[in-house]
Amino acid sequence: MKFIIQRDRLVQSVQDVMKAVTSRTTIPILTGIKIAATSEGVTLTGSDSDISIESFIPKEDAGHEIVEIKQSGAIVLQAKFFSEIVKKLPTDSVEIEVLGSLQTVIRSGKSEFNLNGLDAEEYPHLPQIEENNKFHIATDLLKAMIRQTHFAVSTSETRPILTGVNWKIENDELICIATDSHRLALRKAKIETDNHENYNVVIPGKSLNELNKIIDDTNEPIDIVITENQILFKAKHLLFFSRLLEGNYPDTSRLIPNESKTAVTVNTKEFLHAIDRASLLAREGRNNVVKFSIIEGGSIEISSNTPEVGKVVEEIQSQSIEGEDLKISFSAKYMMDALKALEGTDINVSFTGAMRPFVIRPLHDETILQLILPVRTY
Amino acid sequence: MEKTWDQLEELQPTVLKMLKNSLLKNRVAHAYLFEGMRGTGKKEVGLLLTKALFCESLIEGYKPCETCNNCRRIQSGNHPDVHIVEPDGLSIKVDQIRSLQTEFSKKGVESLKKVYLISHADKMSVSASNSLLKFLEEPNPGTVAFLLTEQLQQLLPTILSRCQILTFKPLAPKVMMKQLVENGVAPVKAPLLAQLTNNLDEALKLNVDEWFAQAQKIVVKLYEVLKKNPLEAMVMLQSDWFSHFKEKEQIHRGLDLLLLIFKDLLYIQLDKQEQMVFIEEDERLRQFALQTSGRRISDQMSAILEAKRKLQANMNPQLMMEQLVLKLQEGSSFV
Repeated sequence: MKFIIQRDRLVQSVQDVMKAVTSRTTIPILTGIKIAATSEGVTLTGSDSDISIESFIPKEDAGHEIVEIKQSGAIVLQAKFFSEIVKKLPTDSVEIEVLGSLQTVIRSGKSEFNLNGLDAEEYPHLPQIEENNKFHIATDLLKAMIRQTHFAVSTSETRPILTGVNWKIENDELICIATDSHRLALRKAKIETDNHENYNVVIPGKSLNELNKIIDDTNEPIDIVITENQILFKAKHLLFFSRLLEGNYPDTSRLIPNESKTAVTVNTKEFLHAIDRASLLAREGRNNVVKFSIIEGGSIEISSNTPEVGKVVEEIQSQSIEGEDLKISFSAKYMMDALKALEGTDINVSFTGAMRPFVIRPLHDETILQLILPVRTY
Repeated sequence: MEKTWDQLEELQPTVLKMLKNSLLKNRVAHAYLFEGMRGTGKKEVGLLLTKALFCESLIEGYKPCETCNNCRRIQSGNHPDVHIVEPDGLSIKVDQIRSLQTEFSKKGVESLKKVYLISHADKMSVSASNSLLKFLEEPNPGTVAFLLTEQLQQLLPTILSRCQILTFKPLAPKVMMKQLVENGVAPVKAPLLAQLTNNLDEALKLNVDEWFAQAQKIVVKLYEVLKKNPLEAMVMLQSDWFSHFKEKEQIHRGLDLLLLIFKDLLYIQLDKQEQMVFIEEDERLRQFALQTSGRRISDQMSAILEAKRKLQANMNPQLMMEQLVLKLQEGSSFV
């Protein structure tokens, strides 16, 4: 393998793939970055076996030559050293050449590095993309969907399946569901598919978090391919692979109540700030619990009482209240997480009793839903 | 060292036959426990079966080809769906098992099969074994576990009952000796090496090891000092023994050698000279054998075994050796 490449493009790509490389791995080859040169360009791959990131540097971009391929081939180089080396090279072009027996020479200006590489054949094989099985979604929509669901995944390993976000694709609609068994976040969106297939997979929450960081906030479409073991996101020159979780996601459709006994509409910001203030004292207490009660005159009272610290009461005016009066307690943290994830200036909260889960939806928007279980208080 | 199916079949015919049949009939168990002495090829067989599960072009339906990409990556420890857990320091920690569990809550990287291999499974801490237990109980489809151990009794009975146990037979010392001599080991040294290990490669390595040669001399010297001038034994420990046997493993080896001397004395008394291992010291040992009784030798041997056990339980090595030397001194038993 031998090629000459623009340094800034190489540095950018190395930084992207480095996000997937960890030093804590039991598989020695994963401490490296795979570099493969073909006649079309150079591909860099980094992986920690949970997520893998592939960055492609084309031979030419907008008429400028970026890479000059002299000989194709592949090598795996120690990520720790390679990333530092390319960052500090003196000139704008870098020559990388693999001699026999995996010896790699990196030349730039008058400096020359010799690195011992590893055999690229040993690197994990990533699934091949089958062009007919993909679907598209706008990048900013995808990012919003991740943001609105992934905070609700469970952090405890007792039920590993709940540490992931359930993605269901049915009738050209993508449904994302995350729950930690105390709250649930659901988001739907229309997607464009080529072959109208149904899928039901669970993606680790951590992977989605990483993906959210790495993709740009544009409205260009991103391609998604689901294979047996992995899910693949394909942006321009960047491929993001994530492993899926093993097992079946619990059926959440029955958890969401259909009817409601009390429905309240409030301004999102006012409500969020009131909860935030009430939680200041609640945080000192055990469960971060605030009390929500409907008082006369179409108002809501948010209160919290921690005997050893003090108490707080706040009244907010609601836009409409329908149905029975109600007193309910819930975790302020869950409520704030849910409110922050919702879009829209006004929200609709529908309750079905003090001991039953309640649903929060933005007004006139059926695509997003947050569900919270109340806390039993006396 | 890489060993092929045929080579291992010579060493462990029963085990390999069972594995061959379960591969051919597609009835591979979800968890295997390989039990056998050091050097009986447990890990090699574990890796071999792993290769057979992943290999792309099996020979005769069960032998891994050793040349395909998967086989080579398993051999070099780079296959992403094969996880090998080794003791971290003295024991296998609960965190190691936990990370294994999180790993297995996900689907495989490349295939639907996953394999984990825990060597020295007896060194799992109690919390680690309990954590593993949950995991062994409800295996995901396509998961195969290999537990390797030298001491079957130290594992929890609940773990044993969940594994298919395969016993690896040690190589008969005579066969081993013959193989060693064929590989160019001096016939006088072969019996000793055959007693210490069951692994041909390890024995050959020991044969040329400078440290081991020196260790033999020191052990024989210790015995002589004990015999001739017991009061000097403590001094000898300080001057020679501790500077040479530093690591726990090394002390174990030293005690093994010491045990073999007493075994030789017993063989001489029983008139079974052909089973002796310290052939080079034959003459001197004969002299000593005349001066002691079978009863005494067996007491001394049990003292050494006791010392080995204490060392395993993290006794201070210096105190342990001093106590042992006092116990071995004949005639007085004040400790």
